Amino acid sequence: MRILERPNTLPAGLADDLDLIAEMTADFARSQDIEETLRIGIAHISTRMEAEAASIFLMEPETGDLVCRACWGPTDVTGLRLPKGQGIVWRAVNRNATELVKDTSDDPDFSHKVDANTGFITRSVLCAPMSVRDERLGAIELFNKKGGGSFDGDDRRVLQALAASAALALINARQAAAMAEQQVLKRELALAADIQRAMLPPARAPEFPIHGINLAARGVSGDFFDVVELKDGKLAFAIADVSGKGMNAALLMAKTASLFRCLAKRLDGPGAVLAAIDAELAETSSAGMFVTMIAGVLDPASGTVTLANAGHEPPLLCCGAKMDRIDDGMPPLGIVPELFAQGCPETTMQLNGGALYLFTDGLTEAGGTAAMLGADGVAARLAPHRMRPAPDRLRALVSGIVEDGMSLKDDLTMVVVEDCRTAPVLNRQYQARPASLAAIRRALTPALDRLGCPPQVVPDVVLAVDEACQNIIRHAYGGGEGELIVQVRGDAEMLDIRLIDFAPPVDQTQVCPRDLDDIRPGGLGTHFIRSVMDEVEFLAPPPGAGNLLRLAKRMGGAGP
Amino acid sequence: MKIESREIDGAVVVALSGEVDLQHSPSVRKHLMDLMFERRPVVVDMALVDYIDSSGIASLVEAYQMARKNGTRFILAAISAPAMRVLQLARLDKVFALADTVEAGLQA
Repeated sequence: MRILERPNTLPAGLADDLDLIAEMTADFARSQDIEETLRIGIAHISTRMEAEAASIFLMEPETGDLVCRACWGPTDVTGLRLPKGQGIVWRAVNRNATELVKDTSDDPDFSHKVDANTGFITRSVLCAPMSVRDERLGAIELFNKKGGGSFDGDDRRVLQALAASAALALINARQAAAMAEQQVLKRELALAADIQRAMLPPARAPEFPIHGINLAARGVSGDFFDVVELKDGKLAFAIADVSGKGMNAALLMAKTASLFRCLAKRLDGPGAVLAAIDAELAETSSAGMFVTMIAGVLDPASGTVTLANAGHEPPLLCCGAKMDRIDDGMPPLGIVPELFAQGCPETTMQLNGGALYLFTDGLTEAGGTAAMLGADGVAARLAPHRMRPAPDRLRALVSGIVEDGMSLKDDLTMVVVEDCRTAPVLNRQYQARPASLAAIRRALTPALDRLGCPPQVVPDVVLAVDEACQNIIRHAYGGGEGELIVQVRGDAEMLDIRLIDFAPPVDQTQVCPRDLDDIRPGGLGTHFIRSVMDEVEFLAPPPGAGNLLRLAKRMGGAGP
Repeated sequence: MKIESREIDGAVVVALSGEVDLQHSPSVRKHLMDLMFERRPVVVDMALVDYIDSSGIASLVEAYQMARKNGTRFILAAISAPAMRVLQLARLDKVFALADTVEAGLQA
């Protein structure tokens, strides 16, 4: 067998050069602080390439000058600044090519100024530019080959390779630094958004008459809503949208919100509040910024709402199937102070068991001009969610808009004011799953107490409702995902509990109590429900819902 | 809800406490059925049951039926008022073997 002889070593010089390139490339790639690595690297490169001195110049972005950031050799020229000019370093950078000058006395571009200042005598120069694509970062320059010779073509190729990998490492390090800075900015913006969210009123129990929702198109929002409890049991509320977006809008929003909080308690009526906010804003706001705002007061005892509107989207009054736009209003706040000098007109209305919806134009504008929602659009989107408790209704409406792929171009805020006189004493939405049952029982007990349900009857009713909810979870949804609404109403005569789900309609013939003589697990629930409650019936579900089960019990009537 | 078992005189006393509802009855069922498969005599201590629904009752019924088939003891003891109310509604208070206390259940 013949063995082909193959050289297993490279020529000594080439192997050394490759080692140097490999070492430096690895150092650059590992480096956390690239300029520090360059400082150490320059000594290594000079020694290995047998240069008497070396410098690294980096382009200073602000001035465009080349500045010496690291050097090695008998003289220290760190900080040396080379304004855009003709020297050899600039020539290499401008041409984006490695310059080899075997004898500086032959090169007209060589500047003798540095030598004159330092006493160093430059005979030959090798200078490789550092660049990535079109971005010029600087250059590595070597001076005088040791032993009196000059740099050659091999040196040129090695330095070119080293400069290329140093350039890549530099650009990576700079991008990493830029990203870190962006992270800091992002964190600050997130913090600002947190602070802003903290300015919104806290979530209330679903039975509270006023609820709002705010969704910021960006981190911070130019919208706000608020609810302030007044001394006489009335509730002041507001919704506002600041012109523009981003940080400026957010700051003006914060100011407007603080003014509202403070003025709503002191001034008499929403018109006076808006006029006072206008005076303050017109005096201090930056030019071109304004606020559209509605302030209102609800008297929960009478279901009366008084509104004042400054340039804001007209609210909708929904009563049964009827929807009315409340169009009265003034121009926005913060434009001309004289506009509100005579105050701001107020409109008073009766909720009549209905609800008033206020929203920012994020809602009517969502999706862009082609698919503007408009007030009619809002009404149409509300319809399938009317039976939901207010907070869930607002969430369903907003997520419907987002899910439909309508882009959120502006901040989206919505407030609902309801007539709590006709509202259920308990109105809650739950996920239809076994884990919700404990929460349902916890909510039911105090609601039944409040309605005057006799204490010995309360546990029975809780059991009956729990069993009916189980039927919805197990049978109507069949273990699938869904929601369940529990509403409790009542008076001295009758307790009325309604369970609404969004499952496919239930076949009512399948719902019957089991024969009690048949001792079998299961089927007991329906028996419990019928034993405890006086009336159990499926009613026509409201639009958008699947089933509506009504459970009623005569109050004070004899238990089973 | 909590399930705690302890052995007394060769019987297993299973103490249920809290709310035995649809969320927790599967674990009650499994616990009791495992004992039934081992043919262990069981006394269920129901003193601290605050709430029980049809699914909880069903777990007890299933264990009771298995015990009867196997000829082993299965007794509900020290039944709390809320649990007794539900047993009565289901008219099962006459079906299960009941004991006023755990001790009485162990001696039955």
